Amino acid sequence: MEKKLLILLIFMVFLSPIFGVILAEKVGYHEPLDIAASLLGLEEHDIVNYHTPFEDYTFPGLGPVAGYIASGLLGVAIILAIDIIASKLVKSR
Amino acid sequence: MLIFRVHISMRNGAPLLHIPDGFLDVYWITITYLATIGYFTIIGKRSRSIFRPEKISTITTIAAIVFVAQMFNWPIPGGTSLHFLGSALAGIILGPALGSIALALVLVVQALVFHDGGITTLGANILNMAIIGVLTGYATFRFFMRLLKNTDRKKRIFISSFMAGWISLFIAGIACGVEIGLSPRFPYGVLITIPVMGIWHLVLGVVEGIITGLIVLYVYERNPHLVMGLEGI
Repeated sequence: MEKKLLILLIFMVFLSPIFGVILAEKVGYHEPLDIAASLLGLEEHDIVNYHTPFEDYTFPGLGPVAGYIASGLLGVAIILAIDIIASKLVKSR
Repeated sequence: MLIFRVHISMRNGAPLLHIPDGFLDVYWITITYLATIGYFTIIGKRSRSIFRPEKISTITTIAAIVFVAQMFNWPIPGGTSLHFLGSALAGIILGPALGSIALALVLVVQALVFHDGGITTLGANILNMAIIGVLTGYATFRFFMRLLKNTDRKKRIFISSFMAGWISLFIAGIACGVEIGLSPRFPYGVLITIPVMGIWHLVLGVVEGIITGLIVLYVYERNPHLVMGLEGI
């Protein structure tokens, strides 16, 4: 990935809580289908008891804003890591 | 029905496509997973050129852009919010096969790392957004590029991308409505879920179309060779 683009993406991640957390809280935004599930009493299947420490773009030990930023950076880092690993695997073939 | 209409179609405006766990029954989970696995198996076999380092880098670049763009929820007073989906964008820039892989990568990271979208519904979410959304976006872009062949090229690219973003979101919304409407676990049938999801995504698709149009035009002006959807047009 180009360095300029990566810097732009990181900058965007730092801006994202303004929309994804701060303004979302002000208007009471929640994932639409999550609301429907809760209202309709839909429960998760027993076969799935999936939990992640980064549930809904939070980060252990951090508040909502910092957690959202850290989650964004983590997501980009994971995609970049996949890029590096997959490229190395392909080159080694 | 009232609850569904109010809270699905009126209260929230984000693309309502990340289906959480609990919406689909075992049959639909199986069907959507099998369809998704089948599609990517065919891609893998037919497109051996995908597995080159420079192609992988292009896929992950678009995936990272879409991932970050989806973190921008634009709240609208009244509890509504919009965010970009990116299926058509990925299809136009990368072509249908690579575009599907890029979107699927985003959806897998969102589901497994952030539990955004369910695990049991990951097959359905990939089917709707990474397969149906990307293929529809790509096909719509190519259709309008050919239809508007006498129009100024930049205008043509913007209009075609706009239509691709708009229609792909609408069709992906319909697909989502079909899946949850036909699933016995969901208490409302397709007569409700399809119109609700369809109409709402038809409205939201305008914003998706504008953003898709602007980004594709920007990429085209910087480097036209990066827009794979223009191949042969």
